[in-house]
Amino acid sequence: MQTLASPPTPPTGALRDDGSLDPAHAAALSDELAVALYEHMVLARVLDGQLIELQREGKIAQHSSAIGEEAAIVGAAAAIGDQDWIFPSSREFAAALWRGMPLGAYAHHAMGTALDAGRGRNAPDPPFWRAARVASVSPLVGTQIPHAVGLAWAARMRKEDVAALVFFGEGATSSGDFHTGLNFAGVTRAPVIALCRNNGWATGTPASRQTASAGFAIKAIAYGLRGVRVDGGDVVAVLSVVREARARAAAGEGGTLVEAIVTEAGVDPVLRLRRHLETRALWTIEREQRLQSEVRADVDRALAEAAAAGPPGIETMFDDVYAKRPWNLDRERA
Amino acid sequence: MTTPMNMVQAINDALRHEMRRDDRVVVLGEDVGKVGGVFRVTQGLWDEFGDDRVVDTPLSEGGIIGTAIGMALYGLVPVPEIQFADFIYPAYDQIVSELAKLRWRSGGEYPAKMVVRTPVGGGIRGGLYHSQSPESLFIHVAGLKVVCPSNPRDAKGLLLASIRDLDPVLFFEPKRVYRAAKGEVPEGDFVVPLGQAAVVREGADVTVIAWGAMLYEAIAAADEAKRQGIGCEILDLRTLWPVDVEAITASVKKTGRVVVVHEAPKTCGFGAEIVALINERAFVHLEAPPARVCGFDTPFPYALEMDYLPLAHRILPAIVDTAKY
Repeated sequence: MQTLASPPTPPTGALRDDGSLDPAHAAALSDELAVALYEHMVLARVLDGQLIELQREGKIAQHSSAIGEEAAIVGAAAAIGDQDWIFPSSREFAAALWRGMPLGAYAHHAMGTALDAGRGRNAPDPPFWRAARVASVSPLVGTQIPHAVGLAWAARMRKEDVAALVFFGEGATSSGDFHTGLNFAGVTRAPVIALCRNNGWATGTPASRQTASAGFAIKAIAYGLRGVRVDGGDVVAVLSVVREARARAAAGEGGTLVEAIVTEAGVDPVLRLRRHLETRALWTIEREQRLQSEVRADVDRALAEAAAAGPPGIETMFDDVYAKRPWNLDRERA
Repeated sequence: MTTPMNMVQAINDALRHEMRRDDRVVVLGEDVGKVGGVFRVTQGLWDEFGDDRVVDTPLSEGGIIGTAIGMALYGLVPVPEIQFADFIYPAYDQIVSELAKLRWRSGGEYPAKMVVRTPVGGGIRGGLYHSQSPESLFIHVAGLKVVCPSNPRDAKGLLLASIRDLDPVLFFEPKRVYRAAKGEVPEGDFVVPLGQAAVVREGADVTVIAWGAMLYEAIAAADEAKRQGIGCEILDLRTLWPVDVEAITASVKKTGRVVVVHEAPKTCGFGAEIVALINERAFVHLEAPPARVCGFDTPFPYALEMDYLPLAHRILPAIVDTAKY
């Protein structure tokens, strides 16, 4: 048993900096999945860069960059089933896109247009996408954790094999909703996977100001959950760890707190996966150039179309407050 | 067919009826299971429906509402119980920032429907943390409906309407009359539509607006006023939001005089909004300034609760003054 004072256990890793793969994880990644993950991580990286620019130019209100965290986000999203739900925090647009939210729909969300599924009501991010079971989450840190637990708990009550994957940063572990949510998860054995991206910083506050415990995964012990640490720059390790958590959830073994450690040190996670594709002869310079130009064109087109779409009509503000507008909203709308 | 019941029995009957009819309905909260809740409102439900429908939760109101939101997203219809309305504040963020806004912020794609049941009000020697009436804190929040029945018949009918409504409902149960208010309750399926006030007594001189336990104080004051020759028209709002503004306006246009009664503190209490609506819609019909008889702008006291509550002896002078203005 770890104690508070002992150093955290070393994280699970699979993909080495030189692109070689730990043989124990060799079966985790088919050729098709390896290429799909890489292409999606490149999309996430390119889109992120463009959103940073748009935010600097004042064209979108806000952007929480996930550059360097793509492996943790995409790897986790790829590890769960289509019937499962995702509760993102503010940095997981790549998870929504992986699940099938169209790039164009995301662009409309970012710009708050009339064509946005959220009808221009939310500042970016997170996005939601009903068809892909990506839930609507507020930017209030940690609030989505009990939602994910409750959804997973409901599935367990109904004896249906549905799990919930909830993302948050290490700052959220200081919130009451983190404690409450994981405590309920432990008690109810809800099939939930709580993925904490530990990048060491919550805006300007270091992880040492969030917790005195030896890392974040260790907090799982107090809730009766499994806690695992994983190299968040290693998409294969994240995939393996979340898949295992999903399998345990299906087996009735309850939830898992995954601490995905994301650092700026070491090889960039996108490059690490590209090197791996090269070792498997799945990638060439020509293919890289083609991907980069295609992704850039897709992103630019989606953002340009959204920029041209315009805001929703004023009358839409009064819709969806209730299922049916009560008299006061009818009056205000008139 | 009707059966004589108190409010506890009527609410229990409504829950049992709807849980039999709709297997998506689940009850959760602190000690709602085997114990049957702090006021025994859910007694016997656990025996009939079991652990997956009647759930004892960890002691965390934020967790109860937060996880209930997840259940609602999954398609269940949670009916969480908060033991006392005074305990609801740890869940306030989840109710205000999440539950109330989910339908709107998701463009209608992720409504989270639930009925939060909780006992309100004083008069049971509960002290300042078991007596509060926080209805206006929820009425102020777009996206919530707020209900407060005064009698067993309405309690059953309004609770069934609330559970079947598509929006989240705060269902405030006046605990002072949980067992004291008795009456005939229709058996089986019975709905009282939301948004409709009841004219409890017709009268020509002064409109008295009340709800929950204070309705009985308003009636007692009106009885005494009648002996003094003043006829009161008494409105039981039943649904606080969306409030039945037509019923209020119609009565005030008739009497030209109005007294609003509530337990919550006067300042920014729901009475303020009611008076503002009357001013907007019936100003030229008013013969006297609208009066409010409310709790004081203090925390709720333990030893002095009967001095704090707007009981009949405080309502009567307001009725008389308003009638004679």
